[in-house]
Amino acid sequence: MPTAIIASADLQQLLARVALGDRVAFRHLYDATAPSLFGVALRIVRQRDRAEEVLQDAFVNAWNRAAGYQAALSQPMTWLTAIVRNRALDELRSGARHSAESLEDRESGTASEIEDERADPLELLEQAADALAVRDCLDAIEGPQRQCLALVYYHGLSHSEVAGHVGSPIGSVKVWLRRGLDKLKRCLESLP
Amino acid sequence: MNYDRPELLDRLAAEYVFGTMSVRVRRRFQTIQRALPAAQQAVQAWERRLTPLARSVPPEQPSAAAWEAIDRRTGGQTSRPTAPASTWLSWLKPVLGVAFGVVATLGLVRLYPTAVVPVDEIVQERGTLPASYVGLLTDAANNPVVLASSTRHGRIMSIKMLRRVDVPSGKVLQLWALPKEGAAFPLGVVPSEGKGSFQMADTSEKLLSNVPRLAVSVEDAPARAGAAPAPYLLSGNCVKLW
Repeated sequence: MPTAIIASADLQQLLARVALGDRVAFRHLYDATAPSLFGVALRIVRQRDRAEEVLQDAFVNAWNRAAGYQAALSQPMTWLTAIVRNRALDELRSGARHSAESLEDRESGTASEIEDERADPLELLEQAADALAVRDCLDAIEGPQRQCLALVYYHGLSHSEVAGHVGSPIGSVKVWLRRGLDKLKRCLESLP
Repeated sequence: MNYDRPELLDRLAAEYVFGTMSVRVRRRFQTIQRALPAAQQAVQAWERRLTPLARSVPPEQPSAAAWEAIDRRTGGQTSRPTAPASTWLSWLKPVLGVAFGVVATLGLVRLYPTAVVPVDEIVQERGTLPASYVGLLTDAANNPVVLASSTRHGRIMSIKMLRRVDVPSGKVLQLWALPKEGAAFPLGVVPSEGKGSFQMADTSEKLLSNVPRLAVSVEDAPARAGAAPAPYLLSGNCVKLW
């Protein structure tokens, strides 16, 4: 199943057909977007089987809600990514088994070793900033704030997990995140 | 909490979209979004801002089973053990058409040396095709890929590949019977293109009389009895042609 690079306008067409119950369009939409969306889910929930459950729930949700999709309000990929991220975050936040299973799955692994298996989220944030031409704006955000923002957005870490990861008190992390988000908002609002 | 304050909604929306809310607060804010358009709009604004960041995440290929589950859960082909009448009629004729090509190799060829007689004429002259089991397997996009057929009391399963399937080197395409009850069992290996046939463990009647569906998976080696199948690549109805 090749990953197709598909224009937003084409995705809108597909979503419009999906809203009418067109299964062929639904399959095309899946082929075009599932790998990207699965990548997003996998980074958050970390286990392939759980990420596939998230992907399944998200596409079933998209099929059921396609008629309510409003092209004027969001790009198709924004709409789909939001559904996947929300489902992944719900899964992550509600699953106490997550941390236990992750640790059990890797007999000799410690939490920090497991963390290293995923590419550095800060790199992803910087790559995204480069692609969006907002790198200068991002670089103006202090290092610890950038690091916290990346850990939360790409890996879905909670306040306390971020605090543990960067070795700072949870109160500081909350402040960093709040200020960082404000700065990030200004960076991203300058986008066309 | 006073949700009329736009700055509060914006703050909550940011935390919701960014993912820092606890599960309890997430649930509560989801309820608020449903009731309060301003909350929904604040969330959408943050989704528009932050989603471009997700583009740098490397894509990953989900397994074929993920689509099968989605298809089943949204009422697609894989959710129906038997096709409804309209679908049945729509694919019966093409099945008969290609079935003839295979059935011809099982005996009709002697009666019809040209072997390319339209199925309508065959049906007209003989009244019916020989009693056979016929399976038409389709891919996830519903394209017909494998035609499998065997005479009712024969042990040879004839295969016609209606389109080529890319099989990784060293792997085989394994045909499985999916009985109404119990586990799938292997029938034989099908070619990646063209035609082929294999000898089954017993007659079609013994093996397939309670098998409404067939499926194909990619396996490392021909499956033995009792083996569990890999995720199915192709599947379809198996019907009695009499």
